[in-house]
Amino acid sequence: MTKKLSRLAPHLVLIVLAFSAVFPLYWMFISSLKGSTEILGFDLIAAQPTLKNYIDAFTTVPLFKMLFNSVIVSLGTALVQLIVAVLFAYAFMRWNFKGKNLVYGILSITWLIPIQAIMIPNYVEVINMGINNTLLAMIIPHCCSVFANISMYQNFNSMPRALIEAARMDGSSELQILKDIVMPNMKSSIASLGIVLVITAWNDYLWPTLVARTEDVKPIQIGLKSFSGSDTYMWGASMAAATISTIPILVVYIFMNRRIISSFMKGGIK
Amino acid sequence: MERTVTKMSGSRTGIRIDMASKRTASRAKGKISGKVKPWLFLLPTIVIIVFWMIKPLIQTLMYTLYDWNMLPGTVPEFVGLSNFKELFNAPEFGSAIVNTFYYILMMLPFSVILPMIIAALIQNVNPKMQRIYRALIFIPMIMPPVATATVFQWLLHQTNGLINHVLISVGLIDNGINFFMTEGLARLMIALITGWKMIGFATLMFSASIGNISPEYYEAAKMDGSRGIRRFIDITVPMLSPTMMLMIMMSILFASQWTFAYIDVMTQGGPYGTTTNIYYLIYKYAFGNSNVGVSAAASLVFLVVFGIIALLLQKLSSRLAFYDN
Repeated sequence: MTKKLSRLAPHLVLIVLAFSAVFPLYWMFISSLKGSTEILGFDLIAAQPTLKNYIDAFTTVPLFKMLFNSVIVSLGTALVQLIVAVLFAYAFMRWNFKGKNLVYGILSITWLIPIQAIMIPNYVEVINMGINNTLLAMIIPHCCSVFANISMYQNFNSMPRALIEAARMDGSSELQILKDIVMPNMKSSIASLGIVLVITAWNDYLWPTLVARTEDVKPIQIGLKSFSGSDTYMWGASMAAATISTIPILVVYIFMNRRIISSFMKGGIK
Repeated sequence: MERTVTKMSGSRTGIRIDMASKRTASRAKGKISGKVKPWLFLLPTIVIIVFWMIKPLIQTLMYTLYDWNMLPGTVPEFVGLSNFKELFNAPEFGSAIVNTFYYILMMLPFSVILPMIIAALIQNVNPKMQRIYRALIFIPMIMPPVATATVFQWLLHQTNGLINHVLISVGLIDNGINFFMTEGLARLMIALITGWKMIGFATLMFSASIGNISPEYYEAAKMDGSRGIRRFIDITVPMLSPTMMLMIMMSILFASQWTFAYIDVMTQGGPYGTTTNIYYLIYKYAFGNSNVGVSAAASLVFLVVFGIIALLLQKLSSRLAFYDN
């Protein structure tokens, strides 16, 4: 009896934890399918599922445009960050040079600078550059992710040096070595890191709030706020919009959760 | 996969090695000097970091001495240290500092204490099942903050929220609670939502470190006859101290950052400033009151205080952390 219990207890704990993690999502989705009277009740399923909330959501704010903005900004940001990180990691893996420790030290310190401490000058800078209220304004200041640089460097460090040495002997240029030897070998870690960067950019909040002023430029996370800001709170439509803003990430997560989890955890362990 | 590649090219090198060494010798001239090369690769990183992080940081530090509202055409006016005076005298400043530490402390059960216990409890669950649980409990970590805030606002709604409904049904309360308008509760809710986001991730981190503890320790403990809780306290906890330090560090850094979006969406710092933290104060001063100087002063205070904390923690972790060699 006690033996059985001690075998069941861990599962019980895990089930409670998993339930509390997933239930809010479930409630968001189910509420989005309920009609305007049903949503005021507390049934765990939608008895008469309707898409009315989704139609409301799409007609209240330009959700398609906002989804498109989010896709461009998050893919664009992640791509540039990856390129910058690959170049950085290559230099760090490949050479021991004077100033290397200094660069690494400065980089680790900048990791600790919160966006709040630099947002005002950057905001002024974006206005001076004339790119305020554009998608570009959301990408450019985030072109280099310190997290990406350091993770990429750790990944590259696992690269067998003999391979690079061999290519160098063959007379390949550094860029060729990077492109033909290092990157194909590191394909899967680059991809994993890329997914994490896309998710991070997709979920970014403060900076887009500052520079995306009009509806047609806002990414979906900021667009979602227009529902909670209004006095006449449309809960159904709001849940529908929240669902839409989450689905792209969930789809990616369903297919690649193991990679995503391990990338996040590696980021934690420095 | 990497291993096979190594082998292949290893043999390839063997053949070409003498040819190649001749070629490198002749190529050494007229090429970019080896000293410059790394810096070319580092150039994008350096340019971006300097332009978008270091330069603005210095500018923020300068703004602490100026009065400015960011309006185009206006010039910052030098005011000395009066921004700091204004900041320290502002009633919100005290509560922002208190709340910043409140959020950090409230994170610890979700980032260290509970995850460590849970991780120890589940260490023997079979790996196949664990994979499914892992995928589920990690989900809050990737949830978009605004969507999260919206859902919890709905779950905690005064009249139509599921949580109030459940609390009334079991007879704990008579009328729905307006969580986000009640002093004390609003702050607690924000802390709990942030904890909800953290707990799954932290559990996985502790699980991974437990997996790395050598089974020999446990076998030795078994021979000594120690079991269960004793074993947890004597072996698991000390072996997990590096992960504990890491999670404490992350709590300190992320508690303020993660609560930010929830504060902005759910309470805007209210009721009566009881949910603001230092990040939100910096933001409010800059973009709510257009008072760049005081906002910058708050940033500087934050950087100094957190810089000291980070330094102390690093000292502490190198002294206390116990590593398994």
